[in-house]
Amino acid sequence: MQPMGNENAGPTKFPGRPVSPFVAAPQTTMPFFSSGHVVEKTGPPNFPGRPASPFLSAPQNAMPLLSSVPVGPSIPSSQPSPDVGNYQRFPTPVYPSNVQSITPAHGPPYAGQAVLPPPGLPSPGQQPLPPPFNFRPQPPQPQIPLVSMGPPPQSFNSMPRGSMPTFPLESSNLHPSMLGYPNSQASPVTHVPPGQASPFLSHQGGFVQPPIRAPLGLNSREQLTLTSMGPPISVQNLVEEFSSLSVGSVPGSIDPGIDSKALPRPLDGDVESKSSTVMYPLNCHPKFLSLTSHAIPNSQSLLSRWHLPLGAVVHPLAEASDEEEVPIVNFGPTGIIRCRRCQTYVNPYVTFTDGGRKWRCNLCALLNDVPSDYFSLLDASGRRCDADQRPELMKGSVEFVASTENMVRPPMPPLYFFLIDVSLSAVRSGMLEIVAKTIKSCLDELLGFPRTQIGFLTFDSTLHFYNMKSSFTQPQMMVVADLDDIFIPLPDDLLVNLSESRTVVDAFLDSLPSMFVDNVNIESAFGPALKAAFMVMSKLGGKLLIFQSTLPSLGIGRLKLRGDDLRIYGTDKEHALRIAEDPFYKQMAADLTQYQIGVNLYAFSDRYSDIASLGTLAKYTGGQVYYFPSFLGGIHKEKLSYELARDLTRETAWEAVMRVRCGKGVRFTTYHGHLMLRSTDLLALPAVDCDKAFAMQLSLEETLLTTQTVYFQVALLYTSSSGERRIRVHTAAAPVVADLGEMYRQANTGALVCLLSRLAIEKTLSHKLEDARHAIQLRIVKGLREYRNLYAVQHRLGGRMIFPESLKFLPLYGLSLLKSIPLRGGYADAQLDERCAAGFNVMILPIKRLLKLIYPTLIRIDEYLVMAPTVADDFGNFSKRLPLSSESLNSRGLYMYDDGYRFIIWFGGMLSSDITTSLLGVDLSAIPDLSKVSLCERDNHISRKLFGILKRFRESDPSCYQMCHLVRQGEQPREGLLLLSNLIEDQIGGTVGYVDWIQQIHRQVQQSA
Amino acid sequence: MLVWLFSFFLLIALLGLLIFQLMSLADLEFDYINPYDSALRINSVVLPEFITQGVLCLLFLLSGHWFMFLLCAPNLYYNFRLYTRRQHLVDVTEIFNMLDWEKKQRFVKLIYTVILLFFSIFWMVWTALEDD
Repeated sequence: MQPMGNENAGPTKFPGRPVSPFVAAPQTTMPFFSSGHVVEKTGPPNFPGRPASPFLSAPQNAMPLLSSVPVGPSIPSSQPSPDVGNYQRFPTPVYPSNVQSITPAHGPPYAGQAVLPPPGLPSPGQQPLPPPFNFRPQPPQPQIPLVSMGPPPQSFNSMPRGSMPTFPLESSNLHPSMLGYPNSQASPVTHVPPGQASPFLSHQGGFVQPPIRAPLGLNSREQLTLTSMGPPISVQNLVEEFSSLSVGSVPGSIDPGIDSKALPRPLDGDVESKSSTVMYPLNCHPKFLSLTSHAIPNSQSLLSRWHLPLGAVVHPLAEASDEEEVPIVNFGPTGIIRCRRCQTYVNPYVTFTDGGRKWRCNLCALLNDVPSDYFSLLDASGRRCDADQRPELMKGSVEFVASTENMVRPPMPPLYFFLIDVSLSAVRSGMLEIVAKTIKSCLDELLGFPRTQIGFLTFDSTLHFYNMKSSFTQPQMMVVADLDDIFIPLPDDLLVNLSESRTVVDAFLDSLPSMFVDNVNIESAFGPALKAAFMVMSKLGGKLLIFQSTLPSLGIGRLKLRGDDLRIYGTDKEHALRIAEDPFYKQMAADLTQYQIGVNLYAFSDRYSDIASLGTLAKYTGGQVYYFPSFLGGIHKEKLSYELARDLTRETAWEAVMRVRCGKGVRFTTYHGHLMLRSTDLLALPAVDCDKAFAMQLSLEETLLTTQTVYFQVALLYTSSSGERRIRVHTAAAPVVADLGEMYRQANTGALVCLLSRLAIEKTLSHKLEDARHAIQLRIVKGLREYRNLYAVQHRLGGRMIFPESLKFLPLYGLSLLKSIPLRGGYADAQLDERCAAGFNVMILPIKRLLKLIYPTLIRIDEYLVMAPTVADDFGNFSKRLPLSSESLNSRGLYMYDDGYRFIIWFGGMLSSDITTSLLGVDLSAIPDLSKVSLCERDNHISRKLFGILKRFRESDPSCYQMCHLVRQGEQPREGLLLLSNLIEDQIGGTVGYVDWIQQIHRQVQQSA
Repeated sequence: MLVWLFSFFLLIALLGLLIFQLMSLADLEFDYINPYDSALRINSVVLPEFITQGVLCLLFLLSGHWFMFLLCAPNLYYNFRLYTRRQHLVDVTEIFNMLDWEKKQRFVKLIYTVILLFFSIFWMVWTALEDD
């Protein structure tokens, strides 16, 4: 498989692909490409001829499918697999261009799995549109280059599509792809022939092309079905059957190694399973609780065939939009209605009997008495007459005001304690100043006025306490230099009521940056400072914000440099780098949780600062890790102040505990996220907020479930900032099924990916990265194999890959996960700190943001920007997401990449200078280093529009501030680091591309199918 | 004879320590105590357990009871490995995730110790009879 090797090299080798010279070469074609997508395809400079070929084929493809016809039938189902290697080559790059241009045109049909004939072949309709445009205008000229160039490409094997077979393939494919639908089906045919035909080709070079040139699209499609499916009739039936099975479990299929453009991508949004809310309208919204499969297996044996994780992702405080605000219910003196035995809260699924005097718990089926205050008559259908007035009986999500029995102590006031590093690097990077300013600006918005408590402690090689007694005008500083035996210099007044001591706090924050401006201390007594902070806070609990900019170097908990040892990777000791080095941190985390202290860590070091150890503090206290690598005040100011401000002002649930109850026979066994278990099923979350989600795995306790429905109830008991003890309850029901197919139909890719990612990251803490990646792949393969086995018997699936509609994006997300920062590559692919920080991050992400992070949005924006400003807001028409491959990038375009954490704006090498000048003020060529340039709004409509887009995107994800990085095409190594390594569908340095990945999965699925 | 008597008491002590740990874990599982207390109780007896086991091995070694020493050696090696990897103490933050493993490990040790106890009683009786 020499070509494969080459192929791998290809992309990396020509990172700059769209290099100008080449683009220029086929200029003739360029004009036509105005549609955009195609262009950069042509871009591949190495292979000027290639771009042309698709077009060429147009005129000629009336030619018979000589080679393919004979060959085709002979391809039995088995064929594909051996040939896979070959196939790979073409698919990737080849069509992208064509299809691409089409795809957006009629998104929906494509989005679905390619296999099914879409409702009515749109072919006739579509063909006219794109083809004329693309083909007509560029008649012979391009052709010449093609022919002459034919042979060379061979030598250019490195180009994925370079090898000979490409031509026939392309041509034949072209049509199908134009037809829109069929192309995927056509592919098997087209592929095989190349394989077979290649001998000829290689001898004869370019000349062979014409004869081979493909069949008309329609023909090819029929051929295709014949070949791949065996008897035509059965095919027909099969197709019919699948399309008629429209309920949602239609097995999609793709032929191996085929059209990379037809592979499923969540470009039009993810599959959102509506079925759960339709089936159980009383369930809470899926954003609060979603199961990986909304169908619970009824037996252990069925569960053992479901190889994907079975569990749930719970996001108890997900931000609610206005119309679906969670109602607050206060039972007053009656007390909250709960089941006597299992403590389940009253919910829409309980049933009232005995004339309304009793209610039956839906989880444990116990009959409870209805308190007299809560009594209501039942109507004829057995429903309470007052049900409509009672949100707890109508809504899956409610919030109860807790009575005193849910308190072990009076509700705590919101408390913020700041532990700030003031050593040299903290001062010099500007961190200290920004932090002080941001805190000051947020003082008015801190939660819980007027009860809010606040305190500060700074440290370098000594600890500095601040007495902020309200009677003072200036804070009084006390320095403690004894690090071995930490004591608190004052019994109180280190933590003060903000509203009483406001002037002192203001004065302190004003003077903080200047106090340490000349500090040359580079040591960091982090451990002792942490202990001191813990001692100050332990009476009340609260939120501890740690700002750390160096590696802790003094006292208990000091850490040493590690992680720069290349040799340790790939050995059994590798995982030790990703866990806390010193048991001090785990112990501290446990103690902090016990005293209701949540830690948020802000790490700023430009060198190794052992996020793995420091992050442990956040991991077990329901906190969060904010990592700012090589922090510079000038550049990161907005990001830091936005995120700190959000951290300080977002609604927070204090001293919270969460429990998920479920019906008889099932039980949540493992929990994954930033939490600590206080008992087998009680999650301790000292300070939790709307940006944290938790995942958990489910297991069956009984071999056979006899109930029809399983109920889940998430209960989060917390103290609100206003000082009220509340219980947020989300209730959901899921059917118990005996059929594996139904489980697949009800699967939820987002929840699955979320759970899978957390399992994988936890695995990296005890195993090698390689093992964690392998585990993900194995799960996906096993899952799809089991699914295949379900259908392989009834249908001759041949070499097709099938998967449930609900999981069509699973392979892609699996691939994205393998290439995500926490899991990718090895030593060189991500800095250890960056990897650990990303890992901590993934562990708290809710589904939607996780999916966006691993498969980010890539859109082309130059066309929108240059459009004259109109009144109507038409951005929607332009914001088509593109596949994440370098083929989506056109050197004439301006692209924006958004993973929810940052924006990357990519300037194509041939981007019109109007745009760059309008955006940057000068031409791109005048700027040697884009990393130093920051975007600022200029007074022209292009710039304003761009800022409009940025604003819109930021508003869509308020949980963090997306910094804008600018990068120019071909600017190494930044381009590679920022963008190219994140184009997950490409083959980057030894990793597989999307098409290869699908083939790999397919092969493995078939191996023991 | 004295050796066997000693080993008998050491083994009884070992059994006691293991049972205590297992009980703490069981209590934790059934939510009778919180993980902090449970971890504290278990960790306080882990080192005594290791030391007792070490003394037992030493005793067999010095008294020349090779067979019994070889029987004890795997356990000693296992404890030593746990200790050098700093995995001998239960971790309060992960105790619930490790619960099954911790229980299994101690259960195996328990059975192993019981077998040793039988052997040692057997040898004790044997030597007592021989002496007569």
